[in-house]
Amino acid sequence: MFSKQHPIPRVIIYFILLLWTAAVVYPLIWTGLSSLKNNQQFMLDKPWSLPNLPLLWTNYSYVWTKYGFGTFFKNSIIVTAASIVISIFLASTSAYILGRFTFKLNKPLYNLYLSSMMIPMILGLIPLFFLLNDLGLINSLTGLIIAYSANVLPFGIFILVSFFKTLPKELEEAAYMDGAGYTRTFFSVMLPLAKSGLVSVAIMNGLTVWNEYIMGTVFTNKAAMYTLPVGMAVMQTEMQYRTEWGPLFAGLFLSIIPILILYIIFQRQIAEGVVAGAIK
Amino acid sequence: MSPRLKRTGFIALFSLPTFLFFCFFTLYPILKGVQYSFYDWSGRSQKMDFIGFDNFKELLSDPIIWTAIGNDYFLVVGKVIGIMLLATFFALSVTRLKVKGKSIFRAIFFIPNVISVVVIGVLFRYIYNPNLGFINSFLSLFTENPVQIQWLGSEKLAMWSLLWPSIWAGIGFYMILLIAAILSIPAELYEAAELDGATQNQQFWKLSLPLIWEQIKVSALHITMTTLNGSFIIVWIMTEGGPDNSTQVMGSYLYQMGFRQFHMGYAAAIGVLILILSLITTMALQKLLHRNTIELA
Repeated sequence: MFSKQHPIPRVIIYFILLLWTAAVVYPLIWTGLSSLKNNQQFMLDKPWSLPNLPLLWTNYSYVWTKYGFGTFFKNSIIVTAASIVISIFLASTSAYILGRFTFKLNKPLYNLYLSSMMIPMILGLIPLFFLLNDLGLINSLTGLIIAYSANVLPFGIFILVSFFKTLPKELEEAAYMDGAGYTRTFFSVMLPLAKSGLVSVAIMNGLTVWNEYIMGTVFTNKAAMYTLPVGMAVMQTEMQYRTEWGPLFAGLFLSIIPILILYIIFQRQIAEGVVAGAIK
Repeated sequence: MSPRLKRTGFIALFSLPTFLFFCFFTLYPILKGVQYSFYDWSGRSQKMDFIGFDNFKELLSDPIIWTAIGNDYFLVVGKVIGIMLLATFFALSVTRLKVKGKSIFRAIFFIPNVISVVVIGVLFRYIYNPNLGFINSFLSLFTENPVQIQWLGSEKLAMWSLLWPSIWAGIGFYMILLIAAILSIPAELYEAAELDGATQNQQFWKLSLPLIWEQIKVSALHITMTTLNGSFIIVWIMTEGGPDNSTQVMGSYLYQMGFRQFHMGYAAAIGVLILILSLITTMALQKLLHRNTIELA
């Protein structure tokens, strides 16, 4: 059985891999199938039975209109997009300085950003709530955008500093020779060169913000301001009591599908982003 | 303007906005959080009394916090072991063991990592649901009477039931990291090992494992830190710390104390405790996992 070349028989390797594939994929398929059932089918049929015809597509229109899923989507898109732009801008400018200029405060500043990534976000959660409250930014998308941009900022700086460090000096010098100032050199020469790093950071930060729950739930309490995860969490509590299971699964499926499609498109960049974050 | 001044001006122009933003919305809240932990404060009134270390003293005699700490470390240990074993196995399978369809396995195993923890939490709540979920129905296929296990409702099982989705959700990320580590090992080393007649088994223990050890260490540290700092979300969504506080973790207890029961000072003290424990644990783990890493020249 145990051949010299393969200590674990191939069959067992494939079996484990396929088992895990099922463990990952089946819950998603189950969600999709359940989203088209009515309560009678939930109570009487087996959980894995196929939904009866006609399929209950109304579950989807129900969560979309009645529970304002459309609003959650819109909020999530706005908050994610704005947080990406702001955090990329703030991270790339500072990372460029930290990565390519030597000055006294360089190292302490870098270490400050780096060590802040180790500190649990929840420790600052309560004061941040009161700070946003004082600024009138509770229950506002602006408040969320600020909180999220600050939250993902150190990660962006961390990745981009190492990225800017690897870029060749010559291009920068050539730009100065051509009479470009610092600012122009950054925007028209260095920033375009860092494009793949920027994309990685944007994707990783986008994922973090899109999926974030705890700040979202603390900083908003009006349905009109909920992001997708917050709306989903609130919705499931209500649906549980009303036994609206079909719509609940429709909501889950709606939350999964867009991100899954984006994942399929950006799979390579996401993997690169993951790896970039781990290599110091 | 002198070139020197110009340079300094540029550094300031590009660093200050980020630094101020960071100070205002990250640094200040953290320091303020530490400060709050020394006050008796509900969060809803202006009345704040400085009480020194009283919150911490109360914390030490609070039985729930000890349960919470225990649960946090249960998740840390369970996740580090579960995720690292599976992720290493999967990473080796799709690289060194040359299975067919490796890019498909790789792509599928990462899927849970792009899904929101909230969605994962709600989904598993229903997978575990004694009536609607498929776990009990599946188990019932093999038994005479229908299985009626309360996966999340029983104090004995609930933590184990929370561990599974936490592992499920984490594997892909660490698998990708380990794949990168394995692929960065030069092929010549394996060729040389083959020539010397090393079996796959020996190649793993003598070659792959030592060379990816650094990545395993970093991953274990990362799991530890993210678990202590963020595991409460899945707990909050799936059990809200129940039944009877048996699944409470430090983060969920903080949330409950601060935003449900309005003991902001006490909640802040829990936050400080999380920080201290996560620093101590990562440092201890770093020592524990220390092993001479082989640097490739």
